[in-house]
Amino acid sequence: MDKRKVANLLSSATGLALTIGIAFAIVILLILILSEEPGRAMYFFFIGPFTKAFYFGNMLNQAIPLIFTGLGIAVAFRSSTFNLGGEGQAYAGALATTVILLAMPSAPGIVGILAAIIGAVLISAFLAGLSGFFNMRWGTDTLISSWLLSAAVILIADYFVTGPLDDPASSMMTTAKIAEQFRFLRIYLPSKLDVSIFLAVALAFGTYFFMQRTHWGYEMRMCGVNREFSRYAGIHVGKYLVIPMAISGAFHGLAGSMTLMGTHYRCLKGVTMGIGWNGIAVALIAKNNPIAVIPAALFFAYLNQGAQVAMLRSDVTWELAKIGQAVIFFLVTAQALYGLYKSRKKKVST
Amino acid sequence: MAYLEMQGITKLYPTSGVLANDAVDLTVEKNEIHAIIGENGAGKSTLMKLLYGLEHPDSGVVLFRGEPVKIKDPLAANRLGIGMVHQHFKLVPDFTVAENVVLASEPMKQGLFIDRQTAVRDVGKVIEEHGFSIDPKKKLQSLTVGQMQQVEIVKMLYRNAELLILDEPTSVLTEQEIERLFETLRGLIERGRTIILITHKLEEVMRMSDRVTVMRGGKVVAVRETNDVDKRELSRLMVGKDILLEVDRGPTTFGEPLLELRDISISVRGQERPLLDRVSFQVRGGEIVGIAGVGGNGLAEIEDVIGGLRRTTSGKVILHGEDVTCLSPGQLREVGLAYVPADRLKRGASLPTSVRENCIVTKHHDFLAAGVLKRRSIREFTRRLIEHFSIDAGEGMQAGNLSGGNIQKMILARELASETDFILFSEPTWGLDIASSQFVYERMLELRERGAGVLLISSNLDEILGLADTVLVMYRGRIVGRLDNTKTLNKQTIGEYMLGLRDDSQSEPVVAEVQHG
Repeated sequence: MDKRKVANLLSSATGLALTIGIAFAIVILLILILSEEPGRAMYFFFIGPFTKAFYFGNMLNQAIPLIFTGLGIAVAFRSSTFNLGGEGQAYAGALATTVILLAMPSAPGIVGILAAIIGAVLISAFLAGLSGFFNMRWGTDTLISSWLLSAAVILIADYFVTGPLDDPASSMMTTAKIAEQFRFLRIYLPSKLDVSIFLAVALAFGTYFFMQRTHWGYEMRMCGVNREFSRYAGIHVGKYLVIPMAISGAFHGLAGSMTLMGTHYRCLKGVTMGIGWNGIAVALIAKNNPIAVIPAALFFAYLNQGAQVAMLRSDVTWELAKIGQAVIFFLVTAQALYGLYKSRKKKVST
Repeated sequence: MAYLEMQGITKLYPTSGVLANDAVDLTVEKNEIHAIIGENGAGKSTLMKLLYGLEHPDSGVVLFRGEPVKIKDPLAANRLGIGMVHQHFKLVPDFTVAENVVLASEPMKQGLFIDRQTAVRDVGKVIEEHGFSIDPKKKLQSLTVGQMQQVEIVKMLYRNAELLILDEPTSVLTEQEIERLFETLRGLIERGRTIILITHKLEEVMRMSDRVTVMRGGKVVAVRETNDVDKRELSRLMVGKDILLEVDRGPTTFGEPLLELRDISISVRGQERPLLDRVSFQVRGGEIVGIAGVGGNGLAEIEDVIGGLRRTTSGKVILHGEDVTCLSPGQLREVGLAYVPADRLKRGASLPTSVRENCIVTKHHDFLAAGVLKRRSIREFTRRLIEHFSIDAGEGMQAGNLSGGNIQKMILARELASETDFILFSEPTWGLDIASSQFVYERMLELRERGAGVLLISSNLDEILGLADTVLVMYRGRIVGRLDNTKTLNKQTIGEYMLGLRDDSQSEPVVAEVQHG
């Protein structure tokens, strides 16, 4: 690492710390104004997630899908393709998992789980890859097409969940539950934390290795940095409009599948609850570095859990919790985006 | 006192290390057409960008109507009464003519809404006053190129521009449209405006201008009354004296043809003149073929075609005896192509990544073990290149932190490492200092001695004369001269071909026409 890199890293770290500080200050201010018992509210908002095994485990559990989606976005962004359809892809993955597992209720656990993962990954990779293919073929913007496609997919999935697959026995808008043998082992009871966290962490390191060390990762990164250069040098640039999108989709499918088999066990309407969108913010904070995706996802999960605990244990209302969370998300994402904008500008001016 | 005076203008582009303007003085009198001519890279466009506020000079003063001015941006230039018509139009295709003209200075209603009626009326008035023939309510995309240019001029007049800068205004126009433009320019002069005309076409200078400033290598080399000069003298001033390169080009024997272009043409829909017009030539082993020409005459297109980055309309490319027409760059490299591109910062190198990653890009397949890049051998390979080509860099350094000369050495090292027998160099020394240029020349001569075929595309005539065995000159997409580089060949002759004063290719078709007539 040369000096410049170290200096860059330091300045971005202090920048992030400062932004988080300001965001926390705003949340504290909001709580001081709106809460009758501000001390208690603040305690549960910021410290709450660490006070009980249940809270702490659930926090870790919430980070799992965010690691998957964050990785998916990071891979796409690194290759200068933009996947804005993560939410729909994750939902499709969750639904595919449900359909496959409901169809084979008496299959051995491992067989069903593998089939479900493969199905979810394939369908989501196809959905995102389609946007990449459109881009290669006709030059349509992946940002727009992936988002539109995802918006349609969400509605279609909603239809299946509330229509043909609806479980009449449940009062909620949901499918039936998957069989016991497909549910992941919970490792930190009473919380919902399950074994898929190991896969998430392993995949983060695996993705880092893939991007930095393998020849596909190299070609993808080169296309991401400078497509004209890559084309000149003989890299098949068209291919790398599709592949990163498909990989990104696969990660989202995995996120949906894992959260279904690990946490929910059934496909509720809107089961993915924003993990696709938050994956974008996670990747931005991680500056598209696969390993940094882990702490970024944990930070998001921490904020989420803090808001939930504060709601349960103090007079913080749902609205206040959400606003507090939004302030922090907003500022942190803006800071990350600003960094991206600055580096873009620098790239253009040279 | 002069209308516009630019004194001692200096501009250095730090990233590429190019001194684009070196203590340039320019004086323009009121109500004249002042031509600025020079080859590509002579610094004329930079000078105008500085005047129009698109760039800022490192030193020097600008006096406009006798007052010193600092021009921050184009809007500030507009406020002073300076307008510029760019070579590439800056218009919105979905807007009407009037909307395009008033863009950024729209007449408002109640301070909130655009007053379209007033816009159409005012724009219509400007159009009428100057005798243009465009309908302000028409959508821009339905106009011809010539009409679009009129819209650009109207835009400047609408903003009360007294001094109009036109950057290569005829490069995209047909003959009739050029005539029309010249009439317009004369009309503007009658109405008391002043015009700066940037061009490299001598005909236009002779026909249109009152005075002419000649630039070369970032400096002003002459200012003349147009009546006192002729085309030959201007072309001499533009290309300069012969400078002998200190290279030793020994005799070689030419081998088999390694690259051959047969009747390559590229035409673009909506453009009368093809970008390349039946271009044929070959490069043999042990031969350096130099292609000279002014930018915009087909040099860049030849580079793109051979590099596999542009499809041809017709014709064939033969490389090492194989038909490689329309193959991808990757396939071409497999057949045997090494290529040092003109645009080394965008095409030739990836600045945000490491020197290592830049060096292996064309042959990273050779460094794989089960799909994983072998880091140690990549490091060794890169270190070897760095040492061999004395590149002032570390293998892990970001390429963008290297100097221009070292970036070019890195590209050269990478391309020569492929050890193919055919290599294309496009503007290989543009912006480089003498030592780095010398280094490049020596490598090229080594290749030639080794029996490789070298194609050198360059607007630098000294290097063409110093290195090439055969010289081809491009003008308007055609090869107008095929010259053996003997002792008697000089820059003036090549310059005359480059500027369209001589044309050997015309002779045959002319004879044919006579026979038919």
